[in-house]
Amino acid sequence: MKKLFDRVFDGADEMVALAEKTLADTLAELGADAPVEMPNTAYFLAIHSAYLGKNVTTLGQLDECFKTVKEWNGRTPNTSTVFKTGFATFMAAEVIEACKYAKDPNPYKDEYHGHLSDAEVRELGVPLVTDDIPGFVVIYGSAPTDQEAVDLIKGYQTRGIFVFLIGDVIEQARRLNMNMGFPVRVVAVGPDIWCVAHVISFVYRAAMIFGAVKPGDRWEFDDYTFYRIHACVNVFAPVEDIVVACGAGAIAMGFPVITNDENDMWRVPKTILIQQDTADFIETSLEARDIKIKVTNIDIPVAFSSAFEGEIVRRKETQVDCDGARFDCFELVRMKDAHEIEDHKIELIGKDFDEFEAGAEFAIGFLAEVSGKNMQPDFEPVFERNFHNFLNCIEGVMHTGQRDILRLRVSKAAYDAGFRAKHVGEVLYAKIKSEYEAVVDKCQVTIITDPDLCHELSEVAKATYNERDERLGSMTDESVDVFYSCILCQSFSPAHVCVVTPERLGLCGAVSWLDAKATNQLDQNGPCQVVTKKRVVDENVGIWEDVNEIVFKSSHGNLEQVTLYSIMQDPMTSCGCFECICGIEPFSSGVVIVNREHMGMTPLGMSFPEMASMTGGGVQTPGFMGHGKQFISSRKFMRAEGGPGRIVWMPKALKDLVGGKLDRTAKDLYDIDGFTSMIADETITEDPEELMEFLAEKGHPVLTFEPLI
Amino acid sequence: MAFKRNPQVFPARIAETTIGTGDNALTLGGESVFPLYSFDAPIGNPPVVGVEFSDKGPRRDVAGIAAFYEGADSLTDIARRACEMPGASFVCLNLESADPNGDDMPVEDAVKLAAEVAEAVTKPLVIQGTGNADKDGNLLGKVAEALQGKNVLLLSATEDNYKGIAVGAVLAYQQKIGAESAVDINLAKQLNVIIAQMGVTNDNVVMNVGQAAAGYGFEYVASAMERIKGAALSQNDDSLQIPIITPVSEEAWSIKESIVSEADFPEWGPAEQRGVDMEITTAVACLASGSNAVILRHPDSVKTVSDFIGSLM
Repeated sequence: MKKLFDRVFDGADEMVALAEKTLADTLAELGADAPVEMPNTAYFLAIHSAYLGKNVTTLGQLDECFKTVKEWNGRTPNTSTVFKTGFATFMAAEVIEACKYAKDPNPYKDEYHGHLSDAEVRELGVPLVTDDIPGFVVIYGSAPTDQEAVDLIKGYQTRGIFVFLIGDVIEQARRLNMNMGFPVRVVAVGPDIWCVAHVISFVYRAAMIFGAVKPGDRWEFDDYTFYRIHACVNVFAPVEDIVVACGAGAIAMGFPVITNDENDMWRVPKTILIQQDTADFIETSLEARDIKIKVTNIDIPVAFSSAFEGEIVRRKETQVDCDGARFDCFELVRMKDAHEIEDHKIELIGKDFDEFEAGAEFAIGFLAEVSGKNMQPDFEPVFERNFHNFLNCIEGVMHTGQRDILRLRVSKAAYDAGFRAKHVGEVLYAKIKSEYEAVVDKCQVTIITDPDLCHELSEVAKATYNERDERLGSMTDESVDVFYSCILCQSFSPAHVCVVTPERLGLCGAVSWLDAKATNQLDQNGPCQVVTKKRVVDENVGIWEDVNEIVFKSSHGNLEQVTLYSIMQDPMTSCGCFECICGIEPFSSGVVIVNREHMGMTPLGMSFPEMASMTGGGVQTPGFMGHGKQFISSRKFMRAEGGPGRIVWMPKALKDLVGGKLDRTAKDLYDIDGFTSMIADETITEDPEELMEFLAEKGHPVLTFEPLI
Repeated sequence: MAFKRNPQVFPARIAETTIGTGDNALTLGGESVFPLYSFDAPIGNPPVVGVEFSDKGPRRDVAGIAAFYEGADSLTDIARRACEMPGASFVCLNLESADPNGDDMPVEDAVKLAAEVAEAVTKPLVIQGTGNADKDGNLLGKVAEALQGKNVLLLSATEDNYKGIAVGAVLAYQQKIGAESAVDINLAKQLNVIIAQMGVTNDNVVMNVGQAAAGYGFEYVASAMERIKGAALSQNDDSLQIPIITPVSEEAWSIKESIVSEADFPEWGPAEQRGVDMEITTAVACLASGSNAVILRHPDSVKTVSDFIGSLM
């Protein structure tokens, strides 16, 4: 098998020799002063301009530059020489095409497109830069059959990808009467491999226009094409050496090459890929170049809008009723490897809605499998929790609950409009792909109504839920490398910033560390930012220099220091949407916690709203702090002051909610059984003196603690 | 004890954004002091006033406006006349007809209007879209293309359409754009950051951080602007070091105080004077909070606010 590098060098020699001859002939015919220019461009010969920083305007200057082309056309078998040789091949191709235009400003007439004008570069460049066109593909050669050629082109077209055709594939498309042209995003560039110069010229002009890359700054061009231009190359067998040489240039620019030629072809992961069947070209190409296809519309027979979110489907208007309380229902998101997933596959296992009687009750399961380079298993529950919002936006569909207690109802009206099980899948697919495009590359959805399979998979789902809950429950602040800041509330509380840790969720109760992490990954400029914790000042009280820097910056200079685990020293601020407030109870040196729902008085002589007025608005009030309900049972809850053992009073409803976990934490920390029963509530007393008596009677641990003040 | 001057000059600076070309170019921003604090250090480019007119023509039901534009019937005549308004530093064409919830004029026709106006004006041109994200995304890109070389300011790119406008207007055709957000420092900052990520530098952008007429939630606008300028200068936050433009006229002329007739509310006095008063009050409050440019409608307001700026510099 001939070495890949040798194929590149031989191919480049071929192109350079042809260019040299063409240039010599043209010089002999027109003379050195004859002008060389491409029509409607301000960027001269863009490839020469990009690589050499020279504005070629005459044949003589082009000839001058040709020395460099020959210099770059190397033979040393290392990657940098191969790449440079690839670039020399492109310059040689541009020489051949430029000579053609020097002789005739319109050499291709209407047969081929040839050179792209600056206006076309801008027209195509804007949607490419904004990702409205996800990328472009260059197709060269002759497909095994005409039909395969057209199927491939149409496949790209339907995905919104711009297609450049070079060589025989153009004739193949024409034979099947394919509609081509700039407006339909399929351009027949030219008949020969050197016509690729027009595509490369387009790319470099885009880099100069949109990336402000300076002519001659070759590294910047490489950078720009690698990071910003989403392109790939499809070449049909047989691939000649001269094409391999162009491929080297394309690869140097960051564009992978996909081919069905297995002879003398070397596989290079993510770079040169062989697919025997041309039907697999598209998926392979998109994956190799990380091109993501956007979902713009949801294909269902009823409306989809947040206006339907609160819609209730009553029993008598129900066509389909799936109740997780009585059947084995589940909803599950699972991360998979890219090759295990066929994007946009929607599968139904079991009977469809129209195979059940009206008003039928049965089990249903939703399984969404996703893959993505930046996907993490931690995002699974984040997506899953949003199924509720996604499905509720469907007109005539009601979704309540979550996980294995979900309930789904489809109205008769929606059913009559043609709404079936697969449409649930369409909605989930479209929403997961569009809402989480930053991390999801591929997604497939399975809807299950087969009762046996539902039973089997719901057991798997339940095991997964338990696993996740345990993982979240076992995570500690020490077990992670970073925390997250959250400024979601700053629109009405401008100075407040939450620092969210695994053991201390946001004070609103709605943002856990995992949520904050997902929010950050999905929108890196959004409200949640990474907070490192490298420079510790006092781990017990919870002071880090890194944390303070972020707090200072995110509060726009209003706060200089917060502690994560103290309510006395620089406690974390509150916006106003805290679930609970704790405040010092001076007689016992303990704290009273009251939740937002509690309407009555507390032993402090203050109700929730009165305490809220002490702590909201991003101010630090030592002795008072807003927090989430789940923080109460955390080992980090006011650890600096001795931990949750300080809690002396909570409303009964709150005790019932957090009691189990709080008892376990107290057992761990103080070796006390039934700690929650030592805490007073409104049914015991709201009077501070009676509270002291109660605490003494119960032997509450706070009485042995140091005074707070 | 003698008064000791203690100038508050920050080691930070708002970017300068220039609109228009040649002798008619106008630069916004560039200050290192709080709004209008010219006593702390010279403000290189004092705030400016622009005059707004709709593509449907000026509001001729307001006597003072009708009188000013008298005899100017075609849109190009109106544009030329607007350039002559005393106190106006730039003009602003409002492409009201293109609004999909109104006349829904096709993009090509609206672009043609913009091109005619761009040919006629003798002052820097600001072009205001419809406020509809989809329509503006398309319209402003096409206007940018048609007005190549005029260095116009296009209002506005929002979170929903910034990509196409930032790339299509600034990178492809070297125009300037407004970044519009809704009265929140973090939203303003976020939009600036993502626009910058498209490769657009601060000197190609102005911010519109939200607007309201005085008395209609204006304190939120004032607070947002104050905090933005504070963060830009005292914390040297370069993603907020961008001049602010505030369209005042649309809000000021659509509130009850400006539209109910004198017949219905005789104790309130003449309707036109009330509209002018609302426009002036709002504009001056904007300038005090941080606007580098305000867009007004009535000749009396334009002159008054311009004189106000002049007397402070």
